[in-house]
Amino acid sequence: MNDDRFLEISQVVKAYPNPFGDDVAVVDGFDLKIRKGEVISVIGHSGCGKSTVLTMVAGLNEITSGGIIVDGKEVTEPGPDRAVAFQAPCLLPWITAFDNVALGVNRSYAHESKSIRKEIVEYALSAVGLADAMNKRPSEMSGGMQQRVGIARAIALKPKVLLLDEPFGRLDSLTRMELQDVILDLLDRDKITTMIITHDPDEAVFMSDRICMMTNGPGAKVGELMEIDFERPRDRKEILGTDAFFEYRRRLIQFLDDCEHEKEDRRKLKAGPEALENKPMPHASKPAFKEESGPKVAV
Amino acid sequence: MSEKTPEKIKYSILRFLDVTGFTVFDPLVRLAFREEPRKQVESLVKFLIIPIIFIAACTGLWWVVAPNHKTKSGEVPTPDIVISSALINDTFSNREKTKESDFLLQGEDRLESLKEVEHLMAERATELEFLEAHLAEQESIYKTRTESLISPIEAQLNALKEKNRAARTGRSSEIDTLSLQVASGERPYEALVRAIREDGELYAMGRGEESVFKDQIEAIRSDKYKPLEDARLAVNAVADEIQFLKKRQGFLSESNRSVKLEQTKEKLVAQDGKLSNAEDAKAVLREAKAFVKLEDGIGRLETQQYASAMTVYLQIKRSIFTVFVGFLMAAAIAIPIGILCGLNKIAMACLTPIISIFKPVSPVVWLLIFQIIVGAFFPDPESHPFFLFFDSIPFINTLGINPSLIFSACTVAMCAVWPALVNTALGVASIDKDHLNVARVLRLNFWDRLTKIIIPSSLPLVFTGLRISLGVEWMVLIAAEALSSSDGLGKFVWDEYQNGSSFSFANIIYACFVVGLIGFLLDRMMIVLQRFVSFDGSETAV
Repeated sequence: MNDDRFLEISQVVKAYPNPFGDDVAVVDGFDLKIRKGEVISVIGHSGCGKSTVLTMVAGLNEITSGGIIVDGKEVTEPGPDRAVAFQAPCLLPWITAFDNVALGVNRSYAHESKSIRKEIVEYALSAVGLADAMNKRPSEMSGGMQQRVGIARAIALKPKVLLLDEPFGRLDSLTRMELQDVILDLLDRDKITTMIITHDPDEAVFMSDRICMMTNGPGAKVGELMEIDFERPRDRKEILGTDAFFEYRRRLIQFLDDCEHEKEDRRKLKAGPEALENKPMPHASKPAFKEESGPKVAV
Repeated sequence: MSEKTPEKIKYSILRFLDVTGFTVFDPLVRLAFREEPRKQVESLVKFLIIPIIFIAACTGLWWVVAPNHKTKSGEVPTPDIVISSALINDTFSNREKTKESDFLLQGEDRLESLKEVEHLMAERATELEFLEAHLAEQESIYKTRTESLISPIEAQLNALKEKNRAARTGRSSEIDTLSLQVASGERPYEALVRAIREDGELYAMGRGEESVFKDQIEAIRSDKYKPLEDARLAVNAVADEIQFLKKRQGFLSESNRSVKLEQTKEKLVAQDGKLSNAEDAKAVLREAKAFVKLEDGIGRLETQQYASAMTVYLQIKRSIFTVFVGFLMAAAIAIPIGILCGLNKIAMACLTPIISIFKPVSPVVWLLIFQIIVGAFFPDPESHPFFLFFDSIPFINTLGINPSLIFSACTVAMCAVWPALVNTALGVASIDKDHLNVARVLRLNFWDRLTKIIIPSSLPLVFTGLRISLGVEWMVLIAAEALSSSDGLGKFVWDEYQNGSSFSFANIIYACFVVGLIGFLLDRMMIVLQRFVSFDGSETAV
C-alpha cells in the first residue's frame, strides 16, 4: 500500500439538481491525495463546498462522479473507519458521556470483552481531558466539553481517517485554543490521518502539515496546496511568533482574497457592462451558492 | 452541614411541586422558609388568592342562580346540597363496608357486635319515637299556621268569586233581553255583539283577579316551613339508620356466614344419621343425594363473599380499572404502529386513509360495534374459556373481568389510539438528522438504532400522545358506561338520572365533580411521567 496515497480523492464532483436548468456542480473536479498520518486542513470561504467534500469522504453524501479511496478501499457508505466529529457535538442527550462514546465502541469492538471495551472508552475520554466527567449527561456539560465528547467518540473507534468538520466553529476563542491543543496532542500521539475543515487561517497553519485551499463555488476545486514545515510536537507560543507563521498566514489570506475578487469580477461580468458603470455592486459577503443547499451536515 | 438541611428540604419540596406541576404553591413553601417574604406574599396574592376569590365568586353565583331554575327533577341543587349528597354517598359506602364485615364476623366478635347493634337499635327506637312526636307537633303547627294565613285570603277569594258570579248572571240576563230585542228588530245587532264581547272581557278580568288570590294561597302552601322540614329530615335519618341496623342485625345473626355454615353443618350431621338409618335402596339413594347437596352447600358457603351494592367508590374503582385496560390496549397498538409509520413512508401512506376515516368516528358508534362483536365472541360468558382463564388466576379473578369490561375497554381504546399513534409517528419522523448521521457513521444495527436513538428521542412526543389519549379515554368511558349500563361512574350518573329521587340531580352534579377530579389526577400523572422521560427537561403544557 502506498502511504502517500492513503486517502485519495480523485476528480470528485458533487452536483445538485437545479429545477430551472442544468445541474449545479457545487464541487467540480476536486483532486487530493493525503499521506498516511498527515494532518490536512481544507480552507475556503464559507459555502465553497468544504463540508460537502468531507461528508463525501465520510460516506454520508453521495458522490456524483469521481471516486474516493481510503486505504485501498472505495468509499460507498459511512463507516467507523472514517470517524466524523461534527460541528455540533451531536451527542445523544438522554445518555451519559460514557455511554455516548460506548455506543460506537460496543459496535466496532463487538468481539472484545466488556472490560476491554470499557477501557477503550475510558482511555478516549481521558485523552480529551474528560476523565472526571464521564458520567455526566450532555445537558450538564459546557459546549466545549460536549465537543470533546464528540471527538472522543470519533477517536475511540481507532479510525483510519479522522474527519473534523469545523469542530471549533461554535466555541469561543479561549475554549477553541484549548481544544486545538487537545487535538494536536492526540494526533501527535496516535498519528491518525486527519482532515480538518476550517475557515480560520491561524488554526489551519497551527494545526496542519498541509493546507488545501479551495476555490469559491460553484465548481469549487483545489486551488493551491501549501506545506507547513513546523516541527511536531508544536508549541503555540513558539510558532505564533515566527516569521514563517506570518508568511504562511499571509499567503493563505492572499489566496482567500484573490478568490473573493475573482468572484466579484465574475458577478460583474454576469450583470453586464452597464452594471459595472452605473451600479457599483455591494461587497459580496455571501457566496452565490450556499452550502446549505446540500444535505444538512452540521447545525 | 446541619445548616444546609432546611435548604435541602426546601429544594426537594420545590422540586416535587415543579415535577407535579403545582408550582402555584411554590411561594407558600418559600414563605414558610422565610425567603423574601414580600415577594412571596405578592405572588401569593396574584396567583393564589385572587384565583381563589374568583372561584369563590363563581360558586356564589351558582348558589344564587341555581334555586331560581325549577326543573322536573326539582330545583337545580346548590353547592351545599351537592356536598351533602357526597356525604350521603360516603355514608352509604361505609354502611356497605360495615355490613360486609358483619357478614364475615364469627365467634365471640359476632355476638358482641350483635349485642351492640341491638343496644343501638333500642336507643334509636326511643329517639325515633321522640322525633316522630316532634314531627307531629310541627305538622299541626304548620297546619294551623297555614290555615290562619290562608283563611282570610280564601274568604276574600270566595267573596270575589260570589261577586263575579253575580255580575256574570246579571250580564247574561242582559244579553238574553238584548237578543230578544235584536230578534224583534228593536235594536241593531251591533249592540248585542258589543255586549257579548264586553261580557267575555269582564269575565276574563274577573278570573284574573281571582287567580291573584289563588296564587297567594298556592305560594303559602308551597312555602316550606323550615322546622317541619328539619323534623321530617331528622325522622328520615333515624328511620334510615334503624333500617340499616336491622340489616346489620340480620347479617350478624341468621344471614351471617358462620351462622349459616353452622346450621348447614348441623343439618349435615342429622343427614348423616338419616343416611345410616335408611333401610331400602330407594331411601338410601335419596338420603345420599341430599347429603351430597348439603356438602356442596358447605363448600359454597365457605368461600361466599358479601354481595356489596355498587357504591360510588366501587364505581370509581371500576371506571379507573376499565380506563387502565383500555389505555394499555391503546398503547400496545399505537406505539409499535406509530414507530412503523414514522420510520417508513409507505407504511404511513397505507395507514393515513385508515387513520383519517376512523379518527372522527363517534365513540357511540364504536361502542355499539364492539358490543355486538364482543357479544358474538362470548355467547355464554359464564363458561367461556377466556373468562374461566382469568377466573383461575388469583387476584385477577377479583377484578371482575367480564364482557362489558371488554367492550368498554375496546371502545375506549379505539377512540384513544389515534392521538397516541399520530404523535408517536410524528416523534419518530422528526428525529434530529444529526443523530441519524451519527448512527450511520457508527454503523448501528436496526435494533440499536431503535432502542438507543429512535425510541428515546421520540419518547417526549409519545408521552404527549399518550396523555391526550388518556384524556380522551376518560371522557369516552363515562359516556360509554352511561349508554351501555356497564358498571362504572357513567352507570352511576345514568342510574341517578333514571332514578329521580330528591337527591338525584345533586348526585349527578357530584359525579360531575368526581369525574373531573379524577380526569385531572390522571392527566397530572401523565405529566409527571412525561417529565421523567423527557431528556431535555423542557416544560410541559399544564
